[in-house]
Amino acid sequence: MSRFADIQIDEGVVKRAARGDVRAHEIIYRAFSAPVYSMCLRFTRVPAHAEDLVQETFVEIIRSISAFRGEAPLGSWVRRIAVTKSLMFLRSAWHKRGQSLDDDFEDTTAGRPESHGVSSNPEHAIDLDAALASLPSVSRAVVWLHDVEGFTHKEIAGLVGKTESFSKSQLSRAYQRLRPLLDEKSKKEAAEKAVNKPVLGSC
Amino acid sequence: MTGEQSTQDETMNGVLSVDELERLKRGLHDLPETMPPRAVWHRIEEQAKAEGLLSRPVARQRIKWLLGAAIAAAVVLTVLRMPGVLVPESVEQIAGDSEFPATPQSTPSNSQTLNALMVESQQLEQNLRAIPYQPRLMRASTIATISNLEDRIAAIDYQLNHPAIRMSPAEKQMYWRERVRLMDLLVTLRYAQAQRASF
Repeated sequence: MSRFADIQIDEGVVKRAARGDVRAHEIIYRAFSAPVYSMCLRFTRVPAHAEDLVQETFVEIIRSISAFRGEAPLGSWVRRIAVTKSLMFLRSAWHKRGQSLDDDFEDTTAGRPESHGVSSNPEHAIDLDAALASLPSVSRAVVWLHDVEGFTHKEIAGLVGKTESFSKSQLSRAYQRLRPLLDEKSKKEAAEKAVNKPVLGSC
Repeated sequence: MTGEQSTQDETMNGVLSVDELERLKRGLHDLPETMPPRAVWHRIEEQAKAEGLLSRPVARQRIKWLLGAAIAAAVVLTVLRMPGVLVPESVEQIAGDSEFPATPQSTPSNSQTLNALMVESQQLEQNLRAIPYQPRLMRASTIATISNLEDRIAAIDYQLNHPAIRMSPAEKQMYWRERVRLMDLLVTLRYAQAQRASF
């Protein structure tokens, strides 16, 4: 499940936020800023753009939290706003460059992909992060929304303003690109296992 | 997303095996999160305040302070008006009587003292206005002290100017004296700060 769903905010804080309490909004920001920023950074790859998107997302949260009824978890609502803002950004970039979303996969990302951060398994995280970053923007977004955030193709199609087939095709082509990395990774893991395997019966 | 749907998608894509797909998903989930720079929250706060979306905590604290001060003053006034109750030494001295009456009476010396305090307070206001505007960078503790002093002065002004609050001349003197003391502190603090900023 998405990290957004794991974050719990006290109902009282949400109520205070709905009244415009700045401290309550700060609590919500502290809780959700990392997942929102990380997602925006993975979509855009540019920290300055990701920061702008975080700002847009949280201002929107402040603007419309009084309309939040609490029927769904707050995390899902926050995520929906962040995703909408991020996809709007991607769309606007496309318009500026006079391209359509369908051209996405042909617009291969040149140069060394940016990588962000490290994890408990740094080598693999950097590899995967770099591989993800090498995908075109919309494909990257589709992979993330489908495989991390758990959106269905129908939902993604609605968000991107395209058909379900478009979402599926983007995902399929992204997997094609990521597959060699997975193969390489599994070979590395197998080699590591073989090296670390205790040799029995020697001597 | 359900396992069944996941399998459907995987079959449809026909690119990754179930095992590969699982490893990819696990890897993506394990990617680290990054915190945005601290300045982002300040930008959000500024924009939201500019759009009038957030309530200002300082203003709310001030209202709370004023309400608290009003309640405290009401209690003090009630106590002072009770017969046989001892009054604070300062008020007794101001009244100039060894036997302090339940409601202090106005005397020529009282009104003179009150006028002198009002003039002094006015002079301090002028001095405060003459000090160059506070520098943009201030210590948090200094901001808090200034804010606290301003709140206390505002609370006294509220007491002195509210039409529903009736005060005896001695009580007025007590408030004016306190106002002068706080104004003096505020001027001193602002002056010291302006001096520091000029270096």
